[in-house]
Amino acid sequence: MVDLLQLVFAGLSQGAVYALIAIGFVAVFTVSGVINLAQGEFAALAGLVAISAAGSGLPLPAAAVVAVASVAVVAVLMERLAIAPVKRMTTLVSLILTLGVSTGLKALMLLVYGPNAEGLTPITPGGVTVGGVSIRYQELWILAVAGLVALAVYWFYERTLAGKALRACAEQPVAARLVGISLGRASLTAFLIAGCVGAVAGVLASPVYFTSWESGLTLGLKGFVAATLGGLVSVRGAVLGGLLLGVLENLTAGYVSTGLRDAVAFLLLIIVLVARPSGVFGRHAEARV
Amino acid sequence: MSLEVRGLAAGYGRLEVLHGVDLDAGEGQLVAVIGANGAGKTTLLRALSGLVPATAGTVRLAGVDVTGSGPERLARAGLAHVPENRLVFPTLTVEDNLVLGAYTRRRQPAAERTRVRDRALALFPRLQPRLQQAAGTLSGGEQQMLAIARGLMAQPRVLVLDEPSVGLAPRLVGEIFTALGRLRDDGLTLVAVEQNARAAFAVADSVSVMDRGRVVLHGDAATLATDPRVTAAFLGGGVSAEATDASDGRH
Repeated sequence: MVDLLQLVFAGLSQGAVYALIAIGFVAVFTVSGVINLAQGEFAALAGLVAISAAGSGLPLPAAAVVAVASVAVVAVLMERLAIAPVKRMTTLVSLILTLGVSTGLKALMLLVYGPNAEGLTPITPGGVTVGGVSIRYQELWILAVAGLVALAVYWFYERTLAGKALRACAEQPVAARLVGISLGRASLTAFLIAGCVGAVAGVLASPVYFTSWESGLTLGLKGFVAATLGGLVSVRGAVLGGLLLGVLENLTAGYVSTGLRDAVAFLLLIIVLVARPSGVFGRHAEARV
Repeated sequence: MSLEVRGLAAGYGRLEVLHGVDLDAGEGQLVAVIGANGAGKTTLLRALSGLVPATAGTVRLAGVDVTGSGPERLARAGLAHVPENRLVFPTLTVEDNLVLGAYTRRRQPAAERTRVRDRALALFPRLQPRLQQAAGTLSGGEQQMLAIARGLMAQPRVLVLDEPSVGLAPRLVGEIFTALGRLRDDGLTLVAVEQNARAAFAVADSVSVMDRGRVVLHGDAATLATDPRVTAAFLGGGVSAEATDASDGRH
């Protein structure tokens, strides 16, 4: 029983990281039909920037802000330089383009930060044992901050005019243009959101899971699987998908074999795409973003 | 505000669909545009609202040349387009659809937007009890009303509508055209593309007949209603007035 609780808790905190990255996929895909393969690199880059900023003496919160801001700039530049100029964007073209950006970002990170994996200092070091379940404080921070960020994104889409305008672009782009919403600016906003949530995920995850130039690959793939579990169109689905994936991974690692941890995501992906391509939670048409 | 179109040409890629269209709608006039499938009616409206770029000709709003403007600028300039198939935002509430209709007026005082919204709801009282419902759950007629109301939220001076009556029960067609008549009486300029020629003739001031990318006939509704060329093509028994026009000028 303690094992189970331990695995579920670890899974939830890891899943919260996937959930944030999944929100990034959803934000971009709904508005522009782009599957952004550089989404994981946003997280890795944020982790590395935060580590080096903290290493150069900045206090942790400031380092985190620097990391999120730099990644936001990278995401905006990426949209302007690689996505916006394409006249007829299809999902296939977007895969090739963003794979290119992802490779470029990885090379840049390797060049600047070197090949070693490092961990950011935890916000609160240490941990506590509750009823036999050992909990790292950083894991609690992950859950709290990821939860807040997810709520903020949800609130943005549900309550603000800018968020509703993004949903309008996702649902009826022609009608959105007719009411005067600029699809170009919507796409830019979507990338900004994707950059910010990806960066927060990267900074939060770094103390527990470590960051290197290539950690974006795994994080991106897991985030993509989480988003797909939720149908790729809904923030709520992305969050639930992330948590589910995190828990299943940890249960598999704990009860079956550690080596199978990463296989879970792909097994899930195949099952979902074959059996329920519109996602596990709810129908395709409802609850877009 | 008057709308004046001269020699408008537009199309999709290398395919030209409009080959020099002339159209006039004076302030406070309702002009119906009728024509067979593929005559270019939808493309004409898409060119008017900037969804399709014009390749030749001019569009003037109240004498000001707006040719080549995108939808956003045209919406600000006072032209609203109620698109084919309504295109309401399905998961957003009726209220949010209206709020987004006023997107170009978002910096206006809220009181002004509320006044416009109340006027649109007075025109279509059926929407009032459904404000908090997702727009996708509305019936076809209610969605059409919402699409028109959303267009009105931009506070247009010229409203162009693509097949407002398509797929609706006769009673609803009457309701919608009555509303359009009231808007015209309030001084709004309207251009309505219609398959339902009877409904169009009943309320329009003037009628333009399109064929293969040109306006081939134009005149006031009363005169054209008895014109043998029109009655043969549109008002006679042979042609189904209810036929949809989904393929019009698009591919």
